Amino acid sequence: MNSEESRQAELDARLRKLFAGVDAGVGFDERVMRRVATVAATAPRENLRAQFERRRALLRRRLLREAWMSSITILGIGACAFGLVWRFAPDIRHLATGQTSLSDPNVMIGGTIALLGGAVWFVLRRVRG
Amino acid sequence: MPADDEITALIHAGRVQEAFERLMPAYRRRVFGLAYSLLRDRGAAEDVAQEVFVKLWQALPRYDGRAQLSTWIYAITRNTAISAMRKRRRSLSLSDPVVEQEVESRGAQPAAEPADDALWRAVAALPDKQRQAVTLYYQDERGVEEVAAMMGLPVNTVKTHLHRARAGLAAALGAAGKEDS
Repeated sequence: MNSEESRQAELDARLRKLFAGVDAGVGFDERVMRRVATVAATAPRENLRAQFERRRALLRRRLLREAWMSSITILGIGACAFGLVWRFAPDIRHLATGQTSLSDPNVMIGGTIALLGGAVWFVLRRVRG
Repeated sequence: MPADDEITALIHAGRVQEAFERLMPAYRRRVFGLAYSLLRDRGAAEDVAQEVFVKLWQALPRYDGRAQLSTWIYAITRNTAISAMRKRRRSLSLSDPVVEQEVESRGAQPAAEPADDALWRAVAALPDKQRQAVTLYYQDERGVEEVAAMMGLPVNTVKTHLHRARAGLAAALGAAGKEDS
């Protein structure tokens, strides 16, 4: 064994000695088992609380999603109504001034669509509620 | 590791408590050693090791055997130790720097009465990964493969860390010897 190898062997031995004592303290297993017992005792209560929190978070997310969907639906219907009024403004003016009778086919179709739309909206609201 | 196969078989058979009772003595030194190599503080390493075993007790029923048992345990240990390190840094950063230094230097020592102060100082001065590799390698005369699994690094990287650490320690001890004489 040359001097380099013997120095290395000596260093290895010193390092082994230095780290040989690196271990958990006496009674470690008992301390762990005590902590496990504490966790086991509180786990069912914690589980219930976690379950409740999870349900509450789910409900909050669902309500938020529904609020967004309602807003988008109202905005969409409003935009459609505005577009229709804009598009058929002359006809509406004629109807309002009595220049077009209610028996006009365009008026009847428009009125039916509006009535159906209103009914669908009402039914949807009832179903969601 | 044969103990791992037995523990895994017990978990799959639903005998989790029995598996845990086998697992704790088999892994105590390794979990503690890994936590210690990262934290350099016996008290903090013991806290982390306890926390790891509580986590293992909770998670064992969900262990599906996709990863090796040892790999899974080392990953939990590393993550728990790193979280503890972050918490410790946050709390130390709020305290007096002098106290911080004192706590660091005391906690870093491997035993209450360090037998080899010069060597310990040289080890403490090594870069983190080299110090960690040296601690794990010499704690239980482990193979490089096992140290690599514990550190979550490739075997060749660990060999390089060990080689550089030995060279660094030899140089530091040589310099310290010259200073003393």
